[in-house]
Amino acid sequence: MSLRGGGRTTLLVLWLLALAGLGWVVSQRLKISTDLRSFMPAPTTPDQRLLMEQVGEGPGSRLLLLAISGGSDEELAALSQGLVATLKNDPRYSQVINGSFDPGALDPALLPYRYLLSPTLDTQPLDEAYLADQLQQRLDELSSPAASLLKGLLPRDPTLEVLKLAQMWAPAKSPQVRDGVWFSAQDEALLLVQTVAAGFDPGAQQQAIDGIEKAFHALPGSAGAKLELSGPGYFSVVVGAQTRHQADWIGRISTVGFIALLLLAYRSIGSLLLSALPIASAALAGIVALTLAFPDVHGITLAFGFTLLGVAQEYPIRVLSHRRAGEDALHSVRALWPLLLTAIASACIAYLAFYASGVNGLKQLAVFTIVGLLAAGFSTRYLLPHLLPRRVRDVADMRWLVRARAFVDRLPRPRWLPLLVAAAIVAMLALAPGPFWQNNLAALTPLPQSMLQHDARLRQALGAPDVRYLLVLQAPTAQGVLELSQQLQPRVDALVARHAVDTLELPSRYLPAVALQRERQQKLPDQATLQHDLTEALDGLPFRADLFQPFLDDVRTARTLPPLTPERYAQTPLGQRLAAMLVPRDGHWLGLGTVSGVHDVAALQALGEGSHGSVRLLDLKAASESLVVDYRTRILQALLAAAVLLVLTISFALRSVRRAWHVLAPMTLATFLVLAVERMAGIEISLFHLVALILAGGLGLHYALFFERDTGDPAEQRRTLHATIVCVLSALLVFGMLAWATIPVLRAIGLTVSLGVAFHFCLSILMAPHASES
Amino acid sequence: MMSSLLLWSANISASEAAAPAPASSATLALISALGQPAPAHTAFAEARFMQVLDRPLVISGELAWLGDDKLQRRVEQPKAETFTIADGEVTQERAGKKPRHFSLSRAPQLQVLLDSFVALLSGDPTHLQQVFKISHDGDPAAHWTLSLVPRDTKVARTIAAITINGYATVSRCMQMHEADGDLAVDLLGPLAARMPAQPTRESLLALCGEAP
Repeated sequence: MSLRGGGRTTLLVLWLLALAGLGWVVSQRLKISTDLRSFMPAPTTPDQRLLMEQVGEGPGSRLLLLAISGGSDEELAALSQGLVATLKNDPRYSQVINGSFDPGALDPALLPYRYLLSPTLDTQPLDEAYLADQLQQRLDELSSPAASLLKGLLPRDPTLEVLKLAQMWAPAKSPQVRDGVWFSAQDEALLLVQTVAAGFDPGAQQQAIDGIEKAFHALPGSAGAKLELSGPGYFSVVVGAQTRHQADWIGRISTVGFIALLLLAYRSIGSLLLSALPIASAALAGIVALTLAFPDVHGITLAFGFTLLGVAQEYPIRVLSHRRAGEDALHSVRALWPLLLTAIASACIAYLAFYASGVNGLKQLAVFTIVGLLAAGFSTRYLLPHLLPRRVRDVADMRWLVRARAFVDRLPRPRWLPLLVAAAIVAMLALAPGPFWQNNLAALTPLPQSMLQHDARLRQALGAPDVRYLLVLQAPTAQGVLELSQQLQPRVDALVARHAVDTLELPSRYLPAVALQRERQQKLPDQATLQHDLTEALDGLPFRADLFQPFLDDVRTARTLPPLTPERYAQTPLGQRLAAMLVPRDGHWLGLGTVSGVHDVAALQALGEGSHGSVRLLDLKAASESLVVDYRTRILQALLAAAVLLVLTISFALRSVRRAWHVLAPMTLATFLVLAVERMAGIEISLFHLVALILAGGLGLHYALFFERDTGDPAEQRRTLHATIVCVLSALLVFGMLAWATIPVLRAIGLTVSLGVAFHFCLSILMAPHASES
Repeated sequence: MMSSLLLWSANISASEAAAPAPASSATLALISALGQPAPAHTAFAEARFMQVLDRPLVISGELAWLGDDKLQRRVEQPKAETFTIADGEVTQERAGKKPRHFSLSRAPQLQVLLDSFVALLSGDPTHLQQVFKISHDGDPAAHWTLSLVPRDTKVARTIAAITINGYATVSRCMQMHEADGDLAVDLLGPLAARMPAQPTRESLLALCGEAP
């Protein structure tokens, strides 16, 4: 029984209104997160947990390297200074440096602290002999033509502690300074910018990068110059943009092809438009469910989710192909429904396994796809048939289809075929070259070689830390970490001296422990002694008698200062640098030593020997690979659980183990065949291949279910073939296009689904019960 | 047609380059007359009057122009020290210490010394005019005074002006007026030997003004 014209319009309007309502909810509530970390499994080992923090917040990964070229030294230096001036007060950046000597590096209020921060007093008392020697040196320097800087410092700081600190804090391997700013050997002005945003949060990094580019282009004289960026944050933005660009471009072409294919198959624009409604319902309902269940939705969830929803496209296609001439659409659907319901339930149960994986991103994926599939399935069953036009062409009478079905029926269906395929799969997997799994996530989103070389060159010129290694110090308190760092310093100096590593920067470089500061404080002479020693030291020197009063005042202040703590220090630029290297976690504190130019990893690892874990070298690459392995293990476990559930569901739905075998055997074999063929081709299997295999498996399940169906009606079998061919062609069209993409992630998904669809189709035909058997 | 066009544009750019420094032709002639072939050596004795000091610092040695932008300032008394400026880099050598290198841009005094001294010794008024605003006073054939004010505002923040006293084609004195009021007076050539033990600003200015 179908609705009349008026009722049909009402239903259509209501459905569209419901979709618009869902769309409104989505536009109001959807918050897309781009932080890659929320798509990673919960870290289990301490190294993995540190990795998850460091991936986003480590000092190395938040660093952007900037190079300005295309002008004279003076022009570039002016641009460099202008950029620093603009960005310095922007809350998006925690540090902006370009090599210009900044006497304000130590906050003026903190200047008396120089005697507690500088190592001078460790070896040298501030006595008459030392002062006399220092003052004579200053006098020599005053007679040189380069004395102008000195004249300003002299009254307050005759021993030049501020310069000693500036030297100590300068990057160990800093680039050449010309016109007051850093320059590379290629005559580019160089800058380092540390973002507040996490390094692998492409959305936030995009904003930080936009801010830099906007500030640069607003500078006078920037028109002819070129600003180039590098660093992990920039790379994540570039990769994201490239992937999106290619996916969009391929998506547009395959959408046109898909529409053309459906028009060709059903010759009805109305049917085509209406059959889009269940898919739209699926996507919107899925997103609304996500926004209700999670505070924010990950971009990758949506991308994968839409891929997996590809299964739902089949529901309306099946309905359209199975229409009979003159028959009410509702009847066709009712006949199909048990099978469709089995397919929907199996897919939902399989995706449910993802929910159990415990990974936030996979949980989201499960919620999105299950809600989406249910929405698509039930709207196909209960809404779509009421809207479909009554008069349709029965595809079963098409001549080519009759011939095709006859051809399919004639195909041999040898009983030994599954054995042969299984043997071939085993042989191929055994013989395949190279490692089975791809653990390096970066290999899937490779950067152009030129970009990597540019990064390496800038990194070397700036002495910027490696993103790969970190020396981790652990102690119960922040002071404990600083003390540990001080003890380690001589051994680190020795390593640098014998070129095991170019630089290794420890947190105590920026702030000595309170105990050491106290020690230095106690070595400062009292006012009377210092006054006496200074007067004696000045004897015979031409300095003005009262010149050094600011020096006497500072020493007096320094004697009673409370030692500088990380908290007090945090308000200064250097304190922020320290804060990135000194982090509290789980009731203890970690110090992060940044490393650059590692030549001898073993020597660095040896630093941790005998420290009982309080000092260790963290290899972020190894940690990230172990994280990927964990991740994959979770997915594989989820898949295994899904497989068991699937066998039970199908056996229960078909109420026959033999029939279940006819459905599940081709599906399983085809899945492994895709794996085997890809492995033979030298492809290492990644997470993306696994997700694509699951989608292909879902599609394959449909083919097998429908081919297995025993209707005893040749016309109905022809309609099944028609529906399956349309489904296969549309999947091949969409994913075959992706297989030609140059970005490996897209290619992995495209190739795997295309191969999967082809194998599932062939095997489910060849392994279906022969027509003559029934 | 093409060549006349080129000639015309060459004239334009030449006149443009000369435009920012309307120094008199007499000044230009004076500077040209000071030129000597490289390498040129001259003895110097310098007294620095500084606010941080009760009495002036006195040093002596030799200034040498080695051609192009290479200048050497060798101090013999009271402590041996040599500054060599070449290709925008300064090398400082002291007895018993490792040589230090730093960029010329970090020592505006040295930059000014290089610009003024090299231009004077090479008799190149064009280069001098690019870096300084020049004015001159007196008789080119007898006593004269050249006044140089740095055009670069950043340099001018450290070095306010340079005054050179001379007689006929010989420079006798060079005064470097720092922006903070400090003053360095260099006696050049034979005059260097006549640096008093306790110099004052007045006694030195008197020496510079004497007839040779």
